[in-house]
Amino acid sequence: MISLPVVLGFAAVLFAIGAYGVLGQTNAIMVIMGVELMLGATMLNIVGFLRYAHPDATSGAFFVLIVMTLMALEATIGFGLVIATFRTRRTAEIDDLTDLKG
Amino acid sequence: MNDVAVALVFWPVGALMLLTALYVFITSSMARAGLLLLAALALESILFIALASEYLGTLMLLMMSAEMVIMVFFMVMFMPDPGGLMGMDMTHDKRRSIAAAVVLSVALSAVAVATDWPARVLPPDAPDVRALGFEIMGRSMFSFLFAATAILFTMVGGILVAKQGGRYAR
Amino acid sequence: MSDFAPLAVMLIAGFGALALACVEQVVAGARPSPVRIARDAVLSLREPIARPQSYDGWLFHLAPALLLLSAIAALAMVPWAPGFRGIEVESGAIVFAAALAYVTPAVFMAGWGSGRPLAVVGAFRFLALMLGYAMPIAMITTAVAAPAGSLAPAAIVEVQHAVPMALVQPYSLALWLPAVMAVALLAPFDVATAPGELGGAGVFSRYTGLEAALVALARRVLLLAVAGMTAALFLGGWHGPLLPDALWMALKTLAVGAGLLWAGRVFPRVENDRLVAFAWTFAVPASIGAIALAGLTTLLFYR
Repeated sequence: MISLPVVLGFAAVLFAIGAYGVLGQTNAIMVIMGVELMLGATMLNIVGFLRYAHPDATSGAFFVLIVMTLMALEATIGFGLVIATFRTRRTAEIDDLTDLKG
Repeated sequence: MNDVAVALVFWPVGALMLLTALYVFITSSMARAGLLLLAALALESILFIALASEYLGTLMLLMMSAEMVIMVFFMVMFMPDPGGLMGMDMTHDKRRSIAAAVVLSVALSAVAVATDWPARVLPPDAPDVRALGFEIMGRSMFSFLFAATAILFTMVGGILVAKQGGRYAR
Repeated sequence: MSDFAPLAVMLIAGFGALALACVEQVVAGARPSPVRIARDAVLSLREPIARPQSYDGWLFHLAPALLLLSAIAALAMVPWAPGFRGIEVESGAIVFAAALAYVTPAVFMAGWGSGRPLAVVGAFRFLALMLGYAMPIAMITTAVAAPAGSLAPAAIVEVQHAVPMALVQPYSLALWLPAVMAVALLAPFDVATAPGELGGAGVFSRYTGLEAALVALARRVLLLAVAGMTAALFLGGWHGPLLPDALWMALKTLAVGAGLLWAGRVFPRVENDRLVAFAWTFAVPASIGAIALAGLTTLLFYR
């Protein structure tokens, strides 16, 4: 049946898929989507621990709420930056944003 | 939910979640990518409900619907090929990022399987909504206030960053 | 919760949708005729499913199913009587809001999947509208749950045994009604399915046959769910002097549904910009104020 390593395993694969998105996609919005998947994986981790290790840890549930909030906040600022970048440079590809490159 | 029911829900929903998450980065149509991400996170919230955190799962279902459609909105605005009909390749460093993803998944899964988790048999009673409410309003009030302030700053900051003409224009 | 609750919800969805379609005919000035509705449904089922060119197949064909699923999930949260409270979930009002939140992706999928420009326009208009009105729904739910101390709709109905919530918090009702009219694709907030403006049925204009029937059923079930929840949260649910509880609830639901449909025929459709501006500049801040006022009334009267 389901046990803690199974849940953590699923979360690990989801995290890895998100990492593939962050590392491998050129468009800034796809990178944001990768980060959303990674944060989702961490939430699955915490929920697994809540279910199988510490059911009375309400601070864990609260932390899941905080992470959910962070997903939304990071997407907000990310989209704002994409708008600002697109306005001046007409591109949202992160490969074209090389001004600070040594 | 008893163990058999949880297992019956968990494996197919979990597998489908990973599949849709993978297809987010494979598909070339941007509307489908956003909606596949919505499907992946909605399936994850079903996993939350199966793992006895019903309130968190419901909350995540609620938030993800609007958030992902906003994402599709932005993709249609800013991406060079939102319909996905021109078959552009939107990746860079494909082999290295796939390698990094595989290494990450193997390493994290190894840690999950190899660690000696506490073998306590605890009742499957995740904190319910009341307990979460008391926690937020009592012990975690400071963190809650901090998160609220962060939301406010993000709202104002996001609008300022995206304003036409920059922060100082009228 | 009995084992037959899901089946009962499905039956309520079917018959309630039929009843609301008859109410719609009455409000439009025609004679109510369930036979005609059934005949139209059967005739539309005989048409083949449309496969228009340049469309996104998966999204186009999945959208009616998602719309119907969200409508029935929303309906399952409505409590009809003390003995039958729908599908009882501890945070039922939040599940209701979450189910309604999935109308937005469904309408977007229908519009984008149709592949014609007017449908896409309708989909994006609806998305812009719902961004503004999704928050009042969640916040007014919180404001109404405060006196009850619980998010279960049955508990919110129980706390109204003396006074309906519409009298205690009229401002909440005033903010709730536009929001649910927007989400249920009802006039005057029907920017997505504006007949005459967006060519036919707007976002859903490309659907024929079984899918068109599903969309029509889903829209009626949405109206039923929204009307039922309004009656439960604001009009005192099943409380009433003489008649049995379920009958009161049915009467109140039909009254709210008729009222919403009538408002759609009386008020002209407002321009999209004004609707969105109303949502962001008035409805959202007022909803935050409503939560504060609800907290005050809870402390004064309900504790």
